[in-house]
Amino acid sequence: MSRKKYAVAIRDVIAEEMKADPNVFVMGEDVGLQGGVFGCTRGLMEEFGEQRVIDTPISELGYVGVGIGASLTGLRPVIDFMYMDFTYVAMDQILNQAAKLRYMYGGKATLPLVIRGQQGIGRGNAGTHSQSVEAFFTHIPGLLVAQPSTARDAAGLLRTAIRDNNPVMFFEHKALYATSEEVPDDPEFSIPFGLADIKREGKDATVVATSLMVGRALEAAEILAKDGIDVEVVDPRTLLPLDMDTINASVRKTGRAVVVHEAHRTNGVGAEIASRISEDSFRYLDAPVARLGAKACTLPFSLVLENAVVPSVEDIVAAVRDVSYR
Amino acid sequence: MATEVIMPKQGLQMTEGTIISWLAKEGEAVEEGKPLFEMETDKLTIEIAAPVSGTLLKIIRPEGDVVPITELIAVIGNDGEDISDILAKAGGGAAPTQASAEPAASPEASEPAGSAGAEAPATAAPAGAPAPARSPGERTFSSPRARMRADESGVDLDGVAGSGPDGLVIERDVLAAAESAPKATPLAKRAAEAEGVDLAGIAGSGPRGKIYQRDLAQAGRSAAAGAVAAPEDRLVKLSGMRRIIAERMRDSLDSAAQAVHRVDVDMSEAVRLRTSLKAAEIPVSFNDLILKTVARALRSHPRMNSRFTDEGILEVGEVNVGMAVAVDEGLLVPVIRNADQLNLGGIRSESRRLAEAARSNRLAPEELQGGTFSVSNLGMYELDSFTAIINSPESGILAVGAVKEKAVVVDGTIVARPMCSLSLTYDHRLIDGAPAADFLRTVKALLENPYRLL
Amino acid sequence: MDKKTMKKVHEIMLTIRKFEECALKLFEENKLRGSVHLSIGQEAVAAATGVYLRDEDYITSTHRGHGHAIAKGARADKAMAELMGKKTGYCEGRGGSMHIAEVEKGNLGANAIVGGGVPHAAGAALSAKIRGTDQVAVSYFGDGAANEGIFHETLNMASLWKLPVIFVCENNQFGLSTPQSKACSVEDIAVRATAYDMAGEVVDGNDVFAVEKAFLKAVKRAKAGEGPTLLEMKTYRWKGHWTGDPEVYRTREDVEAWKKKCPIIRLEKHMVEKGVMSEEEVAKKHEEIDELIRQAEDFALSSPEPDPATVLENVYYEEAK
Repeated sequence: MSRKKYAVAIRDVIAEEMKADPNVFVMGEDVGLQGGVFGCTRGLMEEFGEQRVIDTPISELGYVGVGIGASLTGLRPVIDFMYMDFTYVAMDQILNQAAKLRYMYGGKATLPLVIRGQQGIGRGNAGTHSQSVEAFFTHIPGLLVAQPSTARDAAGLLRTAIRDNNPVMFFEHKALYATSEEVPDDPEFSIPFGLADIKREGKDATVVATSLMVGRALEAAEILAKDGIDVEVVDPRTLLPLDMDTINASVRKTGRAVVVHEAHRTNGVGAEIASRISEDSFRYLDAPVARLGAKACTLPFSLVLENAVVPSVEDIVAAVRDVSYR
Repeated sequence: MATEVIMPKQGLQMTEGTIISWLAKEGEAVEEGKPLFEMETDKLTIEIAAPVSGTLLKIIRPEGDVVPITELIAVIGNDGEDISDILAKAGGGAAPTQASAEPAASPEASEPAGSAGAEAPATAAPAGAPAPARSPGERTFSSPRARMRADESGVDLDGVAGSGPDGLVIERDVLAAAESAPKATPLAKRAAEAEGVDLAGIAGSGPRGKIYQRDLAQAGRSAAAGAVAAPEDRLVKLSGMRRIIAERMRDSLDSAAQAVHRVDVDMSEAVRLRTSLKAAEIPVSFNDLILKTVARALRSHPRMNSRFTDEGILEVGEVNVGMAVAVDEGLLVPVIRNADQLNLGGIRSESRRLAEAARSNRLAPEELQGGTFSVSNLGMYELDSFTAIINSPESGILAVGAVKEKAVVVDGTIVARPMCSLSLTYDHRLIDGAPAADFLRTVKALLENPYRLL
Repeated sequence: MDKKTMKKVHEIMLTIRKFEECALKLFEENKLRGSVHLSIGQEAVAAATGVYLRDEDYITSTHRGHGHAIAKGARADKAMAELMGKKTGYCEGRGGSMHIAEVEKGNLGANAIVGGGVPHAAGAALSAKIRGTDQVAVSYFGDGAANEGIFHETLNMASLWKLPVIFVCENNQFGLSTPQSKACSVEDIAVRATAYDMAGEVVDGNDVFAVEKAFLKAVKRAKAGEGPTLLEMKTYRWKGHWTGDPEVYRTREDVEAWKKKCPIIRLEKHMVEKGVMSEEEVAKKHEEIDELIRQAEDFALSSPEPDPATVLENVYYEEAK
């Protein structure tokens, strides 16, 4: 076990996988010399050379396409996005090509690629650099989507992502890169996709939270515990495949759920999760499933405004009280 | 043409059910739509109605049996009909049980208001089953989880106050109600209601202490008993009604000189009359017959219809017969005014109306006053006989036991007859033993020749 | 070009031509779903380049990709079955005309998004480079794609990294109804190679020898590690953009003029003149290919539809249980 920062955990897994498999390579902007703007690829070029750690031009659409071609022909690219907001530039290659080629070719193409990078609020990067964009990639079939909230989860899930033969969208968070946790040293340590994690056990209310919101949900749970409301926090970890078994078991136990994510509330993944809870566990519900997400406006630059848009700890507390009728 | 009674499928997933109790005995008349037996499946107790009217010729699967759905459990048909081929199919049933008369049912009005026929008022678990009966007027909204808890605990959602938004009944409301209410089958609850019995003190013989109707009978509670003998101490605050009952009972015993006469009545003719009236679609209960009989007898024994006053013994002109009705809080005795002037049909509808009103707490004050004599019927509890306390300032009260098949001697031969024990408590201050016995003899004679009542 | 290759090129062109004609016929008989984009008239580009590719070399193509697939070795029957959406098609009926692929034999797929497959060829070339093999990749695309951002991003990276990829632009003068002159800021798309410090060449796309010469030069360059080439093949499509195109954008005369430059007739004339094949042998070859296509048509028509119960298969790669 080593206590590491989230960003370092990411870096270490990439390094270990590149060492174990010569077909794994990294490409993206400033990944080589710079080691990534957030340090996620630090030292990799020195260790593995320029050919396997490629600094690309600012051509998101183009280099995702190049990565796709490489993945079709024997390699396993780990494609870096400086900000996952930039996936919009590469949408055709991600959603029309990477997601679809396997199916359209009758199962005779395999695209073992990972598109990874950070997203979210926390650095005053304003509207086009602070979004949470995971929902788009859960909507079009063909991609797997992971969203780890801790260093350990990031390490375990990234290994699975790199070794998986599907195209994986891997969403890290800029405000979580500096958080630390004990991470196993075992170069085989991995966490399977489709397995949610109960970050806090409880019996009175379920909060399903992703990424940055997991920490806020845990804070809310501490506050609520003082009032005798015992909150269970469930972190799905992967949005596709989504572990509804764990979520349903929790909601059936507690009778009430709040789903919270940083992405916009309207049509975010919370809408899907809340719907499924309702479909699967209707008779166990004491209250309608609540959803929290960012308000419907572009994320503002001002910190005061940003905090007013994204769900806060207090928002989570209030939502739990609401569904608990307390 | 005999009808096969099968274990019915009551839920999408149901594969078998447990027969909890037969509500009729072999040889007894049963009526289409009225409860025939209680069964349990998946923690729910459901009453199943008889599919046709007729005689319950044979009970093939006894109480306690676990029966797969659609299997034969009983046969209804005409008296004396040959059902050997049906029985052969079933592989022979149990030996015919000792036929005993149907327990004197509470008036038909005791069916829960609003439920479809005699179908189970138990809230149904299977998908698509209708919502439990609601009280007229306001609709009760409840969360799905609250409903689930109500199913599990047998709590009637209609009676639960909702603490959620806009009165939504939520889980903890139901849990709280279930905590304070003992678990009992719908039949047990109704019986307890009718006789003013507090379920809290009854030991249930079912799973997790669930109370069946027979547990009530075994506990031998009566309306007059009042106090609860619970294994654990439990303090029940005195309600208004309880306080009044307590005072009245005490006063009654203090003021009147109460003595008791007992007589057994051969109810054969009464049974026949009742059967033929049923066939003629005039369903009267034994209690209706008894009320009518008492009213007639009181007319010819005015001293039994009197009141002890300081000025003297007041023989009251009207015959106003009170009927004891057990309610949630205790006991009410609404009065059938001029009962002697009503025919059987009139008695039937009055008694029903008053019983329902009593249970839903809708009696007008004048309906509780002016009684001259009362009747208390605990036959449903299978009591042979009991002693009632006079409802002061009346002069007497008739306690009616169960109609049971007993061995009696008729013309030197021992025969089985449906017998009912009547106990008359009378106020010796105003009527002596002989005239009281005379009254009772009249009642007996009338019951044994009930055609004179029509 | 030696005789053997000439005959092979001829055979490929005939197969493409007759395949396309059959597809048109089936469309007109309402036996095909959707529409097909025919490459009749453009056969030389596919044939004279494809004949020099090995199974381990890569191609990516466009919505007008039947010819490239056939030149790369695709079977007419499986291709025809895919056009009809049958279970026996190359993609088991999932992709249709615009997505014919055979990844194990280096055909990384036709692509319905204009320019969609261009970076995939570059990626395959990058892969070959990283793995240290002598494989090359060819990206076929049209004049329309040369105006997509993806074209420019890809050329930039391919040149920068000296990838062994050859960009073959089939300039058939039109992007659907828009003539090149109205869509493109330059007359010769090949000049854009200079913008990316790359070799570029304009080629008579209907002359198999010209195509061959330019292509082999590009392949040599690629294998020598000198980077990509942009070859602009001037050609023409005889039929509309897709089957059912009213062709408002050109005249009968324009089409007839280009038909006179038919690459197949040109090659046949040359072969007969030089004694490579006699006229009878040419006619016999026509019959042979007619028969091949007829069999392909029968195969496709009689093949079963895919089973709806399998519709969710292969959305994801799943480990065999």
